[in-house]
Order: sequence, then structure tokens, then C-alpha cells
Amino acid sequence: MNTTPVQSGTANELYAMLSPELCAELKQHERSMMVSANTALIKHGVLPDQLVIVHSGKVKITFSCSSESVCLDCAEVGKVFGMRAAISGELPEIDVISVEACRITVLPRDAFLSLLKANPEIYFAVAKVLSTDLQIADRILRNSSRRCSSASRAKAPRPI
Amino acid sequence: MAHNFRIIEDCLKCSFREQRLFCDLSREALIRLQNIKATSIYPKGALLCLEGQAPRGVFVLCTGRAKLSTTSSEGKSIILRIAEPGEVLGLTAAVSGTPYEATVETLEPSQANFISQGDFVRFLQEYPDVGLRVAKQLTHNCKCAYGEIRSLGLSNSVPEKLAKLILQWAERPLDFPGRRPHETAIRVTLTQEEIAQFIGTSRETVSRVLTGFRRRGWIRVKGATWTILNRAALEGLVTT
Repeated sequence: MNTTPVQSGTANELYAMLSPELCAELKQHERSMMVSANTALIKHGVLPDQLVIVHSGKVKITFSCSSESVCLDCAEVGKVFGMRAAISGELPEIDVISVEACRITVLPRDAFLSLLKANPEIYFAVAKVLSTDLQIADRILRNSSRRCSSASRAKAPRPI
Repeated sequence: MAHNFRIIEDCLKCSFREQRLFCDLSREALIRLQNIKATSIYPKGALLCLEGQAPRGVFVLCTGRAKLSTTSSEGKSIILRIAEPGEVLGLTAAVSGTPYEATVETLEPSQANFISQGDFVRFLQEYPDVGLRVAKQLTHNCKCAYGEIRSLGLSNSVPEKLAKLILQWAERPLDFPGRRPHETAIRVTLTQEEIAQFIGTSRETVSRVLTGFRRRGWIRVKGATWTILNRAALEGLVTT
């Protein structure tokens, strides 16, 4: 299983690319919380109304395949989830589930999009986050070798 | 015009711009793009990027198609997707500063505009509409990748995978005189080996399944032109 490292020494992959002023503005809207293991942070087929930033702990990315859920990747601190849905309004194909107790920050989608509209320079940071998402998807495609034979059944996660 | 290939040198005058994923930019951005791009024509089989290579920049595919391939964890070559005109190739590497994720090879004579990494990043930072287009393309690519994972993971048989691929290609049919109303012609520039890499099987299996489709009268293959004769039969194979 792979992990997705995020630049060390930075709060998260989104804020790392933004000016202190923009970070401060986003921080006004964010909400931090602890979630226990096996909590669904992003659910496939459900439009998230917030971005989820993982600050501590490990989360897994799972993909529903037939009636089974296949764990395909793990992400560590600093990863931002829900960006693609926030930008495009498309439903996520993956589930993101905490493997252990995690400290996360949630940023309401509407607040983020309002700030993005007013500050389009944020798009570069958005592109960086989406690039990581695409790298994860391509790696899953590469590593899964186009089969689901090694699928492992995952426990039903608790809602966030 | 040479070999029926029209070179588009001026992005401001490109008539395809509005149909393309990346190129429908503001006039200011297009003027800037015009100054930072280098236009080149590539023959079929040209390698634009190599997997693992440090990013030099991006290629905006103007005409032609290119395949993005990578090596699986088992050492097999697999095709991630086929890029269409208007796509920016090498995008994730240029944006994130990491090595190219895939090898990009032209499938037919193609025109591409090269933009160095530094120029592209500045372009992205200076023009909000470029950022929006890049975000849209990354979103689109991600959707394609997950669609591929889902499709290939859920399709249990090679005939089903091949039928799905043919039907997917049929969304962009060839239009030529004399075509019968119930027939759909498509141009397939991939070799059987490449099709095998696309659907995760062997060339021999692709050949066998394709022969089966032809014998049943579901498709006709004449060079690079495939004609779907019985769409319902192909659709009947697809269960997911």
C-alpha cells in the first residue's frame, strides 16, 4: 500500500501555496475537530459540503468495486480532500476513511468558493491539490493492475 | 496544407478554440500564450514526455491524439488514457514540480505547443482563467482515471472490456459518405498490443475476442476503420 506524502513543514498542501493573508482569511471559516478511527471523511456518491484537511493521523482511500470496498492508498498529514467536488460539483468516486484517530480541519465549500472567486490567484494552489489527486488516481490505476481480485472487504465507516 | 494536416500557428485565430478544454481563454491570456509557446509538428510515434523524466514543461495538444502510458507495479506497460486535442500534457508534473507521471506518445501526426515549466507556472499564476482551465482539466483527467479504474475493475471478461472500449470510441464516430444509418464507423489507431495494454489483457486475447466479434457480424475491421454493425450486441455484453 502506498502513502501520499505531503510537503513537510507546511500546514497542508493548500495553505502552503497561499499568502499569509489568504490563509488567515480561510482560517476564519475553518473548524478543527478530532475524529475516531473508521470515520468517513468523504463518501463516494455524496457531494461534500466542505474541504477536509488532515492534520494528524492516517486516512485510507477506498474505492467501491462490485459489492466490495478496495483500499487503494493511504494519505498522511497535510492532504486536502474534497477539492475536486468543490470546484466541479462532481460526486466523489472514492471514500476517505480515517484509519486511526485523526485531527482534521473542515472548510465549508461555499466559503472557499467565495474566497476563490474574489482571489483567483488561489487557482494555482487548487491546481497543486488537484495534481496530487490525479497522481493518486493514476497510481491507483497503475498499482491495481486493472483488477479487483485482491479486494478486501472494509468495515462500514461511521459518518463524520 | 500537407498530408491533409492544417497547422494552427496563431492561437488567436484558431477556430477550434472554443471547443477545447484548455484553449478557450481570454484575449489577454491568448496573447501571452502566443508569446510563450513554441509550436511543433510531430510524426506518429513521437515521444513528447518520458515517465520519470524531470519536467521541462507542458505540451498543449492542438491536433492529433496521444497516448499516455505508464509501467504497472508488475512491470507491464499500461495505457492510462488517450489525450485529445485541447489537452495539456505533462500538467501534473509541471504544476507540482515532480517527474512526468507518464510517457506521452503521439498516435498520429500531431501539432503541439510547448511551454516551458517556468513560463507555464507564471502563466497560470498571472491569468485566473488559465487557473480555472487547468483546474477543469485536472478534474476531467481525475474523473477519467477513476472511470477507468471502475470500468476495468468491474468488467470481469475481456469481451465486456473490449465492447466497452469500442462503444466509448463510438461516441466520436467517423462521418463519411455512403455510411449506412445503423452503422457506426470509428478510426482505431491503436495496435492490438496497445488495446491489450488499455484493457489489461494480452494481445492474443484481444485478437481472439476481436475475431469472435467479427465472425458474429458485430463489427467489421478494415485497416484502421472499424465499423460497428450490431451495436445492441456489443451493448448486451456490457453489464456495468
